[in-house]
Amino acid sequence: MPDRKPVESSDPAELRPEARPGARLEARPELRPDLPQAPRRARFDRALVFVALVAIWIGLATVLGTYWVGSPWGVALRLGSGVWGDLWQALAFVLGPTWSDSAVGGMTRPVNLGLQGQLQGQILVHASYTLFEAVAGFLLGAIPAATLPFLLRRLPIATAVIDPFMVGGYGAPKLALAPLFILWFGIGIASKIALVAITVFFIVYFSALAGVRALDARLVQMAQVAGASERSVARHIVFPGAVPYIFTGLRIAMPYSIGGAVIAELISANRGLGYLIQLGAMNFDTTGVFVALVATTCIVFLGNWSVDTLERWLLRWRPPADTKAEVGS
Amino acid sequence: MTAAAEPLLEVRDLGKRFAGRAGRDAPAWVIQGLSFSVNEGEFLTIIGPSGSGKTTLLNMIAQIDVASSGMVRFQSQPAPIGDPKALNPGLTCKIGYVTQEDNLLPWRTTLQNVLFPLKVQGRLNDETRAHAETLIKAVGLAGFEKHYPHELSGGMRKRASLIRTLVYDPPVILMDEPFGPLDAQTRVQLQEDLLRLWNLGRKTIIFVTHDIGEAIALGDRTLVLSRAPARVAGEHVITIPRPRDIRGIMGHPDFGTLYQSIRAQVQ
Repeated sequence: MPDRKPVESSDPAELRPEARPGARLEARPELRPDLPQAPRRARFDRALVFVALVAIWIGLATVLGTYWVGSPWGVALRLGSGVWGDLWQALAFVLGPTWSDSAVGGMTRPVNLGLQGQLQGQILVHASYTLFEAVAGFLLGAIPAATLPFLLRRLPIATAVIDPFMVGGYGAPKLALAPLFILWFGIGIASKIALVAITVFFIVYFSALAGVRALDARLVQMAQVAGASERSVARHIVFPGAVPYIFTGLRIAMPYSIGGAVIAELISANRGLGYLIQLGAMNFDTTGVFVALVATTCIVFLGNWSVDTLERWLLRWRPPADTKAEVGS
Repeated sequence: MTAAAEPLLEVRDLGKRFAGRAGRDAPAWVIQGLSFSVNEGEFLTIIGPSGSGKTTLLNMIAQIDVASSGMVRFQSQPAPIGDPKALNPGLTCKIGYVTQEDNLLPWRTTLQNVLFPLKVQGRLNDETRAHAETLIKAVGLAGFEKHYPHELSGGMRKRASLIRTLVYDPPVILMDEPFGPLDAQTRVQLQEDLLRLWNLGRKTIIFVTHDIGEAIALGDRTLVLSRAPARVAGEHVITIPRPRDIRGIMGHPDFGTLYQSIRAQVQ
């Protein structure tokens, strides 16, 4: 077999099927030409949409007045000064008075920059509370939810027994549980984590269950013939096969986890972005509300990016057809 | 092909029935009264029309499916009849099975797929790893060890699935139309690879195909199955001496006669 040599070149032209019979997947070279352009195009169009949205926002703020709609400038200034205020505090704490009393430290002190009036105070601190609640609740809900279908795989009767309760739990409006959880767990962080966890749990449970059910029986038979034990089958066949399904659930659950945390804070809390929203609304401070909303959105982006990155790494074995769909989106 | 007193594998009066669609059809016999035996080191090819239960037969020998009646004995050990729970798939790694689909794990690279049986059997060490690498080189997959299955061509996937079974050295290998969907050129190449590998190890192989030429070119003996319910419709000893030249086998004087008589029986 003389024509089979390792693929050394990454030049797509050399990977084309006609140049190298049967050497590599045909879909790749065909996909390649779009790849460098499509993301660039998407990035440009995205920037355009962003500008358009900001323009609409400015328009609304101008027409309705900043009393009703905080202007983007006001929001940006407040957000920036809030973040800087927190960073300055952190630097002062870490580096001590040598820095905060130094020339640079003194000059950049928020008060001296004239930011004090703008300072909503501790936006990063509030954001980190919300982020912590969301992440902790997400893990607390997602890990058991992803594990349970694997434990139930060999117990079809138990699965059938709990099924209607799971469907009920999935369908019930979890946000309606927030007041109850606050009653049970207090207005602190625990009630928020509980609400996020229960929201995430049902979403991830059903996607993991779908993953376990989509198992390819032929792969299991192959593994059994090759001498795989029940445990090996679960670990090497069932689990990797279900991972794409689990990620579908995680992707859907991620914004819910942040939304759940914020809404629980709205109802009753003394910190977090939901608290800031509530505080802003009570003081007729729409800019403050917008600041908290923008910060919330930033956290959603951060969460999405984390899930995406983890997924891309775990599912690097998947055919590039998926990337094509992503590029097109 | 020694005339041992006890055949390695014995199938007697085997029957397989699939339940009909609930309440509508009577249960249908796919295989009924099928008998044959296989000796150690023999290359048996089985040919039959599509739908004649060839895959079902191999599934029952590999014990991933259960027989409804009759007997399957491997090394004098009978397989369970009618009780799927008592099955022992692969008979504790004694029977390897190269299925029609390659069934490579999409989340494992070529090398990881080939090493998979060794890993789950707890036999992964430097020696077996070196053996796997030898096999990978022997079938021309060197350089593709780190590729995922979707990055390989159909022929390469087939080769990977073939050596995944060879790597743990089961004494018997079942092959279910392994080269079916491939183009003629790749196919001949793989047939040559297979014969070369078989010559090295002299395993017992049961090879199912629907291609008469392939059945003659590879086998010591060819069984012809009838339409469902399948039974043995004919048996032919392939007299063409080894080593055989796959590309030139059609020119052999015995080929034409064998081909004609087998074709007359395959309906």
